[in-house]
Amino acid sequence: MSTEAKAALREFRWHMPANWWTRNRHYFLYVVREFTALPLALWLLWLLVEIKRAGDGPTRYAPHESTAFVVFSVIVLLFALYHSYTFLSLTGVIIRLKVFDRPVPPRLITLAMFGAWAGASVVIGFVLIWFAR
Amino acid sequence: MPDKKVTIHATRYDPDKDEKPRLQAYEVPFYDESMVVLDALNWIKSNADGSLSYRWSCRMGICGSCGMMVNGTPKLTCNAFVRDYYPRPILVEPLNNFPVIRDLVIDMDDFMHKLKAIQPWIIRKQEMPLGAGEHRQTNEQIDDFRQFSQCINCMLCYAACPVYGLNDEFLGPAATALARRYNLDSRDQGLKQRLPVLADPEGVWECSFVGECSVVCPKGVDPAKAIQQTKLDTTMRFVLPYGNRE
Repeated sequence: MSTEAKAALREFRWHMPANWWTRNRHYFLYVVREFTALPLALWLLWLLVEIKRAGDGPTRYAPHESTAFVVFSVIVLLFALYHSYTFLSLTGVIIRLKVFDRPVPPRLITLAMFGAWAGASVVIGFVLIWFAR
Repeated sequence: MPDKKVTIHATRYDPDKDEKPRLQAYEVPFYDESMVVLDALNWIKSNADGSLSYRWSCRMGICGSCGMMVNGTPKLTCNAFVRDYYPRPILVEPLNNFPVIRDLVIDMDDFMHKLKAIQPWIIRKQEMPLGAGEHRQTNEQIDDFRQFSQCINCMLCYAACPVYGLNDEFLGPAATALARRYNLDSRDQGLKQRLPVLADPEGVWECSFVGECSVVCPKGVDPAKAIQQTKLDTTMRFVLPYGNRE
């Protein structure tokens, strides 16, 4: 065994404690943010089931109407809005855009993203209402 | 001698004697409002216990040597004022996420290998002779990478990163910020050499954007921004038909 290898063995190996995410407010909020994706994924899986049922014809289609599911859907909507807000807020930092060799201000990029989000929501809402009529 | 004293709990670890690190308390005179934690450690070394080991050099937040965990937060000890903690005791530990060699000294080999892997220097396809003149840049071109060039390799961002703590194969914040610094430099032509390291599964894609690396940086560098920008750039190179242009 080389001298270097012997020395390496004597080093104390640091290990992340299981409760690392409780030690700092930022870590805690990060874990909360990541965790909110789980109910969101479950809701979307259920949506796929509903779409499959709708595809099988009106007689097979029986959407979930229980109060618990409505409450769950509202909570998931809030999580989705939270994710969208955090994601779009960062676009100004992440996207580098130059117009005529001058950088576009990050604030303008963020505002444009929120504008596009609002526009897309209105269009999708309009299409859904149109099909529901 | 001043009446005010501050208690420093410092990590001690002797690899020849100790199974694991332990804490030792020292009463240190709080002699000056401008006193920093590094001053307290130096007082211990000079007056109480000469065997205490730690790294330091410039004492002015430039060299990046004296990074340690101060009350659980990665800090440059030359920039952590005792007055901000007094009268509470101060806990000084080696940087998280790194193997401990002795007391407050960590093994930084892993970081040095990662730093070398991203080739943090200007790469030219063909070196010009010195007589051909300098590579000129406009202020706007310098502004593109200026903030990433402020990194002093203090490794506080690695100590703050839980992703690196859970997987030390992750390239990490400072190395990516420095890769970004050179990729954005108008004089550099080394993007293709750095891409395999950056776009590796253990490269920028391992980051799940905790953001704490940018919070603890003592020089105001935003490594989280560098990582997310690199993710966007590598995606665009993959998606766009002209993405692999030089």
